Amino acid sequence: MSNEFNKGRRKFIKSAFTVASALAIAKVAPTWAVPQGRSFKDQVLTNDEIDLTIAKSPLLVGNKVGTPITINGQMPGPLIRLKEGQRAKLNVTNRLSEDTSIHWHGIILPENMDGVPGVSFEGIKPGRTFKYRYDVEQNGTYWYHSHSGLQEQLGHLGPLVIEPKDGDIGADREHTIILSDWTFEDPDEVFRNLKVAEGYYNYQKRTIFETFEDVRQQGLEKTWKQREMWGQMRMSPRDIADVTGSTYTYLMNGRDSQMNWSALFKPGEKVRLRIINGSAMSFFDVRIPGLEMTVVAADGQPVKPVPVDEFRIGVAETYDVIVQPKQNKPYTIYAESFDRSGYVRGTLTPELGLEAEVPELRQVPERGMAAMGMGAMAMSGDMKGNSMNMKHMGGNNSHMTHKMTHKKELPVENIKIKHRESGHGAGAAMIATNPVSRLHEPGIGLEDVDHKVLVYTDLVGAHEWPDTRDPERQIELHLTGNMERYMWSFDGQKFTEVDGPVQFHHGERLRLVMVNDTMMDHPIHLHGMWMELENGQYPRPRKHTISLKPSEKVSLLITADAPGSWAFHCHLLYHMKAGMFRVVNVA
Amino acid sequence: MYGKSLLVGAALLPGLAVAGHAKEDWPEPVKEYYTGQVLFDRLELTRTNEEENLAVWDVMAWYGGDYHRVVFKSEGENVQDDGEPTDLESAELLYGYLVSPFWSFQAGVGTRGSLSSNASMENYAVVSFMGLAPYWFEMDNSLMVNEEGDVQFVSETEYEWQLTQTSYLQPRIEFTANLTDSDKYERQSGLSNLRVGLRYRHEISREFAPYIGVYWNGALGNTADEMKRMGEDTTETGVVLGARVWF
Repeated sequence: MSNEFNKGRRKFIKSAFTVASALAIAKVAPTWAVPQGRSFKDQVLTNDEIDLTIAKSPLLVGNKVGTPITINGQMPGPLIRLKEGQRAKLNVTNRLSEDTSIHWHGIILPENMDGVPGVSFEGIKPGRTFKYRYDVEQNGTYWYHSHSGLQEQLGHLGPLVIEPKDGDIGADREHTIILSDWTFEDPDEVFRNLKVAEGYYNYQKRTIFETFEDVRQQGLEKTWKQREMWGQMRMSPRDIADVTGSTYTYLMNGRDSQMNWSALFKPGEKVRLRIINGSAMSFFDVRIPGLEMTVVAADGQPVKPVPVDEFRIGVAETYDVIVQPKQNKPYTIYAESFDRSGYVRGTLTPELGLEAEVPELRQVPERGMAAMGMGAMAMSGDMKGNSMNMKHMGGNNSHMTHKMTHKKELPVENIKIKHRESGHGAGAAMIATNPVSRLHEPGIGLEDVDHKVLVYTDLVGAHEWPDTRDPERQIELHLTGNMERYMWSFDGQKFTEVDGPVQFHHGERLRLVMVNDTMMDHPIHLHGMWMELENGQYPRPRKHTISLKPSEKVSLLITADAPGSWAFHCHLLYHMKAGMFRVVNVA
Repeated sequence: MYGKSLLVGAALLPGLAVAGHAKEDWPEPVKEYYTGQVLFDRLELTRTNEEENLAVWDVMAWYGGDYHRVVFKSEGENVQDDGEPTDLESAELLYGYLVSPFWSFQAGVGTRGSLSSNASMENYAVVSFMGLAPYWFEMDNSLMVNEEGDVQFVSETEYEWQLTQTSYLQPRIEFTANLTDSDKYERQSGLSNLRVGLRYRHEISREFAPYIGVYWNGALGNTADEMKRMGEDTTETGVVLGARVWF
């Protein structure tokens, strides 16, 4: 089988050398993202020892010149390909005028190699080189990025692929796709705008005319009931993404939709797409109209194949999908921001220069009752003394109620969660009064699509994980926030307000219960250790980043086998910056 | 067990035997964030029904973190071409603390009066509750006590109807109540003044939004009686042209 791969590979290398224009493009975008397509053994940075230079350099982003942070002259950085079992030797040189760092996202390694300034090391000073050394004991699709300030927003990120020991990628060809969000604004300015002017980037708010239209269609009483809760909470059902397409240019492998990143295939081939969401703030809904995708890995870890038509990828998550285009025609790879404020497309094509139809952006979604933790109440009819009449509210969650009655019961559903009696203080604008598991829901804006969308409950680990113990201990954390002042925290306390780390006992098996007491989706990332998602499947899927929907509760099993201090945070960059960050100490 | 794992940890991580302790010179992974803003909620020219032209400002500036802020607020007006000095309605310096998700409590000192060299200013202490009430009513309620012990309450409320993504219709209501009579400043106790305005605002950018609007201003209660006795008009209307600006 591997011989066949090699043959195919040779052919493609040959064609690569004959396409001069493609090489020209390579100068403004990562060389690994050239559109010739590469078979799996074409490696870019794969030397035994890899040197990475971090600098700021002017670069064409879309049709305008920006000044991103480049890695070896590229934004995003080069594709680093390592092999399971090797020792990674990565020398990172800082040519910026400020400290920098690289965190190897999803890689299990010693704490002093994790690359978080202030937690794992002191950072890399200007002019200095830090030598990362660790044994690579896993394989799959991962990525790397700066953990210093807001550098990630400037493109300080890149893909990291680890080949399995046996070299079998389960496909004839592979392409790596890293999605990112670029702004020509200074990231510090973006953060300040969020801090001082709530809704600064939201140009999809409800207008008074939409409310008039609702009154006309469904009457005053029902409209009032729908608006009433949001008014009382002083929150917007259209508050989906904090930073939107109003400032972002969405990029696929560093190219915008106009530049149309293209990936080659031959009809009938099995193509593995390694899709990474390297955005600072953007969740994407990914689909390839006309092609079924089979999800085979989540966060780099193999799962039992799930055929889907679309999947939502939270910030920092990765999914590997296999597609098998049979026809000799181009297909659009479409990644739509989940607030529908923009998209980026690329093309999967049998030859260069072709493109397929690009779908329209779908309608701006609006959060319903489930976001307020009312989904379960509506289902069970348990009003808990609440005078509001559920029948009149949240018109679009009836399908949800229906689905919920059919799913199996998860451990988290029997876990009673606790809120502090005082709520969570001024830093938390809401508490989810009745949080529920929402793992079976595709997420906002995807509830009513007429094709199969991946949900977390579809994920089944490809095999058992080493630790099969039941949890000995439970830790509960609440995701909290206050949109008005753009405060984000755990349990109402920003990182700067907590006294010490979250303590894990070395060797213990833990259950982490998280409750999302906010109106936003949050991708929560634990460094250094896997989180097994208790989604009712066995083997459980394991993840490095788990997205929580508003008013959702989830439970995860963790083996605290990595001594030292580890970052634990929301991977929305500005949420982390605002304080949604903790240090976990394993000792 | 605990000691053993520490030892193992130390052996695994040479050079970091005191992991978690040798970090004094390391930067904080996440720092407290401080910023500030200057917001001219109203910066406008007014034409009254008396055919007077006024320049009016209503500004708030703050600096600080999420909980603690230093706040400066000022309002005032200048009647154009009347040769009179500018009327400083208020200039306040306050300390603000976020007491609940949507409300901050502020306390400080203020001064007001005619900005001429020989006029004496009225100095006062002030406490405010400022924030966002349910249904998005933006409010600022202040209680002031001057050196004479006169107590005054001022409440301002604004609301916004979103017309498009960049335009708004904004009603505004402000009333003043004197809790005590003041001979020195000629104030009569009771509800003394009500001002109602409506403006249409269009954002050129989030930071710069010109507007046009109208207002009605009326004296009430004892204050109105007193004005009538003096033969003055108790109501005033006007049109305004201005901009909401922040940086």
